[in-house]
Amino acid sequence: MAQVNEQLIADVVRQVLKGVNGGGSSAPAASGSGITSADYPLGIKRNDLLKSPRGIPFGELTLENVESGKVTFEDFRISPEVLKMQGEIATSAGRSQIALNLGRAGELTKVPDARILEIYNSLRPHRSTKDELLSIADELEKKFGASVCAGFVREAADVYQRRKLLKGDLPSAD
Amino acid sequence: MAVSKRSKRFEVLEQRPVHKDGFIGEWVDVGLIAMGSPNDPKPSIRIEGSKVVEMDGKRREDFSMIEQFVADYAINVKNAPEAMAKSELEIARMLVDVNVSRGECIRVMTALTPAKIARVMDSLNIVETMMAMQKMRCRQTPGNQCHITNVKDHPVLLAADSAEAALRGFIEIETTVGVARYAPFNALALLVGGQTGRRGTLSQDALEEAFELEIGMRGLTSYAETVSVYGTESVFVDGDDTPWSKSFLASAYASRGLKMRFTSGTGSEVQMGAAEGKSMLYLEVLCIMVTKGAGVQGLQNGSISCIGVPGAVPSGLRAIACENLVTMCLDLEVASGNDQTFSHSDQRRTARTIPQLFPGTDLIFSGYAAEPNYDNMFAGSNWDIDDMDDFLAIQRDFKVDGGLRPASEEDVIAIRNKAGRALQAVFAELGFPPITDEEIEQATYAHGTKEMGDRNIPEDLKATERLMKEGVTGIDVAKALAKRGFRDIAESIILMMRQRVAGDYLQTSAWIDGDGTVYSAVNDPNTYAGPGTGYKMSDARWDEIKAIPWAVRAEDV
Repeated sequence: MAQVNEQLIADVVRQVLKGVNGGGSSAPAASGSGITSADYPLGIKRNDLLKSPRGIPFGELTLENVESGKVTFEDFRISPEVLKMQGEIATSAGRSQIALNLGRAGELTKVPDARILEIYNSLRPHRSTKDELLSIADELEKKFGASVCAGFVREAADVYQRRKLLKGDLPSAD
Repeated sequence: MAVSKRSKRFEVLEQRPVHKDGFIGEWVDVGLIAMGSPNDPKPSIRIEGSKVVEMDGKRREDFSMIEQFVADYAINVKNAPEAMAKSELEIARMLVDVNVSRGECIRVMTALTPAKIARVMDSLNIVETMMAMQKMRCRQTPGNQCHITNVKDHPVLLAADSAEAALRGFIEIETTVGVARYAPFNALALLVGGQTGRRGTLSQDALEEAFELEIGMRGLTSYAETVSVYGTESVFVDGDDTPWSKSFLASAYASRGLKMRFTSGTGSEVQMGAAEGKSMLYLEVLCIMVTKGAGVQGLQNGSISCIGVPGAVPSGLRAIACENLVTMCLDLEVASGNDQTFSHSDQRRTARTIPQLFPGTDLIFSGYAAEPNYDNMFAGSNWDIDDMDDFLAIQRDFKVDGGLRPASEEDVIAIRNKAGRALQAVFAELGFPPITDEEIEQATYAHGTKEMGDRNIPEDLKATERLMKEGVTGIDVAKALAKRGFRDIAESIILMMRQRVAGDYLQTSAWIDGDGTVYSAVNDPNTYAGPGTGYKMSDARWDEIKAIPWAVRAEDV
């Protein structure tokens, strides 16, 4: 993962989108759903594609349905599919790094709030040993199918080792 | 060299406010130099395969964590050989030339090394920098952001100020606290007040990162901004983060459908005593590139809380304009500073804002104080509510869109009152310590906390704890408002909650219009290509700016 450049980012994005889209989903092919900046904003132009994580259509996320209890707070969460579409829009607008970030985000939708904060803290400098970081990467990959995030954490582990930023390393003098 | 007999003129000059400001000469070894330090690296790049193996005179194995991150994620390696072969001057001229498109400039600027970018900036004078900003900012329509705070963390005053600020045109409102445990109420007051003033107002609570994320997940705020990045490894580590931890955090925000931007600024590394003798702008370029590499849509920069440092050295305010420009040139949203007191001189305060105000930026201020200076808990902004009519006059004098609009006294009074009543309803419905009619009356007509009574702080803090523990969400707030007859505000909060399902405001430089439409660099891209192109003020908007209420009307003379 160390040599990521534009081309590689594009490849990785494609890979993560594939992952997000996979897992038994019946969504369109991995090459993308053909969403571009012309479909933006999705909330106005393509709200037929938008759903809450448990499948409630965007148009039904209304105050009336909140009052009746038909929709709840949990319905107002972004889904990996929508993050994928927003990633495609960013890519088509020439912003591949944003697409990569949204790809990681799509993977993290499956990780619980508290665990996300714990992993963030583990990634802070001098917090984790290399093995601890590598086991977080394995957890991300195996438990949550978050392969891009896993690669990112493994890359961090390598950098932290080289720059002496692991737990127990003395802060560098320079 | 003291003189024995004093010149009366010099004695008078010494009494002027500008003499209370700090000024210091350049001191290269500690990095007290705005731009072009002799210690800044010389630009270079060597690529093997698709990997940067040397950057700005340093070999890959010696890269700091920041340099590695930037080399791997923020430089377009494919375009780099061609872009790096151009001279600084040639690239600087492209930025100013109306015949070279923004897209072409982006293609070149995103393929440069940090040292090269810093040198391109040093080739521009301040007017050229402003010309380049006009073309390079990513969203076409400029906007503005304000601070909403007060020394008592008085929720009713916060709600009233939020409503007034939103009415006056601020598209984003930001709070912080005097007492940290009040933070959940601040978020609640901004949410209710902001949506009362104008549907679609984005609000944030500038606090510790984990708290910001949690309160955002709840739907009590809609974006985050105070996620800091730094230009040297040691300062980054002192800040208890790395580019990887911050990127992970950025993805965490996006995974919950929340907008966010990073924060950085010239002078932070000097202030923390670890600038390594590099110029402030060079180090800031690294911060901007970390932001780019993280895939974050935007950055708050323009020195921000460190402005005392660049503000004191030669060419410092020019460097600040340059850091905003670099952000734009990397195709990022910029919330361009002007948010911290740095001078006692009204002339300097105004001059400092011109480079952002006249060309226009995504958010000209990343914190105009929408309250009196004494109530600003971000240690004071460069402009505050008492300067509002000066700001409106300057928009009108120069026919420039600074994002704000004149408001009548009766409209402001009415909206402040409504926000107070709406918050009263939410407090009552959620069982928080009551808001009295007297408090609403005070907040409606107040200038600041001096006109406000005291709340029962221990009771309030018990309630904020309960708010967090019970997991109160934006949906609960909307329900409470609807139940108590504030259906329009409840609808607005639902509209904000829906944004996180659609994710449109995760795109670069997004804000939300009153009808719920998201505008960003995707559907409102900057098309400036010389006179007659780019952002054009509509007739309606110009009529609005012209109509300052205190101007004499020709028909009345």
